[in-house]
Amino acid sequence: MLTVIRGGRVVDPTAGRDAVGDVWIEDGHVVSPSARTPDRSVDATGCVVMAGGVEVHSHIAGGNVVTSRLLLPDLYVSEAAPEGHPFAHAGGAAAWIGATYARMGYTTAVEPAMPPANALATQLELADIPLLDRGALAVMGNDDQLLQILRDGEGKAAVRDLVALNVATTRALGVKCINAGGASAFKDGALRLSLDDEIPVYGLSTRKIMGSLLDAVEEIGVPHPLHVHCNNLGLPGADDSFVATLDAAEGRRIHFAHAQFYAYGAADPDNPATGGFRSAARRIVDAMHANPNATLDIGQVVFGQTVTVSLDILRQFGGRKGAKPKKWVLNAGDAEGGGVVPFLYRPRGPTSSLQWAIGLEIMLLSGDLERTILTTDHPNGGPFTAYPRIIHLLMDKEERDREIATLPKIVGERSTLPEIERELSFSEIAQLTRSGPARLLGLSDRGHLREGARADVAVYREDADRTAMFTAARLVLKDGRVVVEDGEVVDWRAGQTLSLSVESDKAMERRSEAYLQDRFGQSLDSFTVPDAAFGEAGVFEDVACRA
Amino acid sequence: MAAWIKGGATDADGAIAAAATLLSAAHAPVVAGLCADVAAVRAAYRLAGSIGASVDTAGAEGTYADLGSLSRVGAMTATPAEAVGRADVVLAVGARPWGAPLLKRLSETKPTRGRAAGAARSLLALGGPSGTGAALACPAEAGLPAALAHLRAYQRGHLAGDGPVADLATRLAAAQYGVVLYDPAELGEAGVEMLTGLVMGLNETTRCFALALAGPDQDRAVVQVAAWTTGQPPRVGFGRHVPEHDPWRFDAARQAAAGEVDAVLWLAALPAPRPGWLSTLPAIALVGAGSAGAEAAEIVIEVGVPGESLGGVLWNEGRAALTYRAATGPTDLPSAADVLARITHAIATGKDA
Repeated sequence: MLTVIRGGRVVDPTAGRDAVGDVWIEDGHVVSPSARTPDRSVDATGCVVMAGGVEVHSHIAGGNVVTSRLLLPDLYVSEAAPEGHPFAHAGGAAAWIGATYARMGYTTAVEPAMPPANALATQLELADIPLLDRGALAVMGNDDQLLQILRDGEGKAAVRDLVALNVATTRALGVKCINAGGASAFKDGALRLSLDDEIPVYGLSTRKIMGSLLDAVEEIGVPHPLHVHCNNLGLPGADDSFVATLDAAEGRRIHFAHAQFYAYGAADPDNPATGGFRSAARRIVDAMHANPNATLDIGQVVFGQTVTVSLDILRQFGGRKGAKPKKWVLNAGDAEGGGVVPFLYRPRGPTSSLQWAIGLEIMLLSGDLERTILTTDHPNGGPFTAYPRIIHLLMDKEERDREIATLPKIVGERSTLPEIERELSFSEIAQLTRSGPARLLGLSDRGHLREGARADVAVYREDADRTAMFTAARLVLKDGRVVVEDGEVVDWRAGQTLSLSVESDKAMERRSEAYLQDRFGQSLDSFTVPDAAFGEAGVFEDVACRA
Repeated sequence: MAAWIKGGATDADGAIAAAATLLSAAHAPVVAGLCADVAAVRAAYRLAGSIGASVDTAGAEGTYADLGSLSRVGAMTATPAEAVGRADVVLAVGARPWGAPLLKRLSETKPTRGRAAGAARSLLALGGPSGTGAALACPAEAGLPAALAHLRAYQRGHLAGDGPVADLATRLAAAQYGVVLYDPAELGEAGVEMLTGLVMGLNETTRCFALALAGPDQDRAVVQVAAWTTGQPPRVGFGRHVPEHDPWRFDAARQAAAGEVDAVLWLAALPAPRPGWLSTLPAIALVGAGSAGAEAAEIVIEVGVPGESLGGVLWNEGRAALTYRAATGPTDLPSAADVLARITHAIATGKDA
């Protein structure tokens, strides 16, 4: 079927396109303008047409997400289900996640924290998220098998083979490390860890573990660079950890997760623990400018109640006494485990206001928005449902000033946000939410509207109230099929789970089999994600490694 | 496949049509048991969602002892493999852990990973049976929650002195990596909450984790599927077309006793003891081949057994994770998921007609 979306303002920064025009679609892909009569014509006059949104870091599936629902059954509100899907309005459920992203014009989302020991449950849950293509990153960096290999100085090939085996077994899209070595150190009594601190028992450091994973990801040719959650998240002086980690990458590709939580300079360098923090947004942005090998996502803070979920159990244990309401879960799992700590970003509170300002500041100071990705680290900084409001604040200085006027003075004293005049354009918003994240994931078939692109398209009715505009798209196409119309889901189709095609080494398989039998009394088979485990066929779509 | 209606043998289509008729006519149906693979549990929630039923599980007593405590105070837990690999001190609370394969494994091994590697492992008992061989055994004459409260008082320094309970507290505090093993169904919600407080308190100075034994049911799998499907724990009602979680209201035994239920679908593709109230109601039973006959319910449909005659995702106790179990032999029986989907479809088509 030949479709044309006519007369909309087409925004595609990868093609330098921001003008009224048409987008032609056939067989699920964007095609060049055709002389044939289209089978369907969509009038997009007065609308903005962009590629479907791409999410790189949102906790939408897995053990921690499940635990957060059990810990806080009343965090989300459920409403009566619409026709067509029994659970779409069940707050926080998989169907609700898919529907809510789709309504905002997103068509791809990645869960950044899949522990290999629980890959099947995470993948089953992801597969139940409708409307989106999904993917997950396998988390490594705390497991005894890897740490033993490093301790014994086995070299790069062994690490590469173990990482490849984990990616293949879990059917991941990429690899992440979370406070590498921190969970292991926590289990052995440590309460803090910095880049070069010794990890008890193994005699390793975060630098060593992360460095080995950076190399492995390059050698395997994983399109997405190593996704790194640094040490010391959220602590005053965390900017030092960020910059030290960036230096430790030594020019290798690296992605920094939720950078906002590291843009905290110690306000009183002599008493970093008690003196509070000030914005280090400028320092982070400058460091990014000097290191074109690096990308970051924001982890923007949103005022209100949320729940923090993280495999960084060292950090979550450290933050447990700030839980609000006062209850928390810490699972010291088979490698990382997970920590779930409810948290209130107090509306107009001084700390939360400063955090809120810093996230916006990084985006507004950024010299390369293609390497600056909009996230809230859902739900850690706040829910992904706040994206339209955040976009509004980025695009509209007056709106920002109105909000800043309600906040405590510390926002102006410890950040430069009030002075920033910049208003992002649609094209720049597309970089933050489309072209940047797609390029970061190495998915060349999306994030743009050039010929050959997957026909994942969002059409928004232009509205000065950007919050309203981006909350409910006028039309969303997934693979060329209309899934959302006037902000409502009209076709409950399933997307696919993107999984990297990688061969695992037979010798490493045999070696891991022996290791896992010894540790779990069970075979490598029990860690796999077979097609037969899924109710429907065709859940997975292969993504090739870099040549 | 084997199927029966009111004791008389029938075929699949007949049994599925009868099940659809029974559920369509019901005002307050219940889907219970859920002792089955993930695909079947998923299909059961879809059926319940589509007909406005409420849902309950075979192992709810233990599940809600844990979930009740979890939603009040949280939890601090480890996995079986972590306990085996790292623990230098294991406290078994109650009698049930002493029959668990995990405790046997713990008693036969020593920590091999982490800071306690190479150390001896001592097993301690609170309220266990006699003759366990535990290095220190304390009775729980006033019940397990009270015994745990007593122990916690020593741990927090509210009580001081000598004696076995004080000794127990001292040994836990001196552990490098302690594990407290328990069965939530034996402890109850108050006991689990007290145990959680004890474990969290110990972590002010060392590492200690709770480890719950799963029941013989599939509740650990159901909890996960329920959470991602409805955003809620397992016991939900869909009577108002929105999943409402209420552990008291949607307790199927309570509902049956109160006369609030007019039809039941019992799902037990894996063996689960059938509750007495099941026979008091018009019921459909989906049972694993060979585990029940025509007498199990008004409508009985035999299904393949996941992990035996059919592949399926099940709770794997040793791995503390969902894992896929391949079939070990052939069958011509349908999967429970398939039968549930066909019933759901028959009800939807019946409505349209």
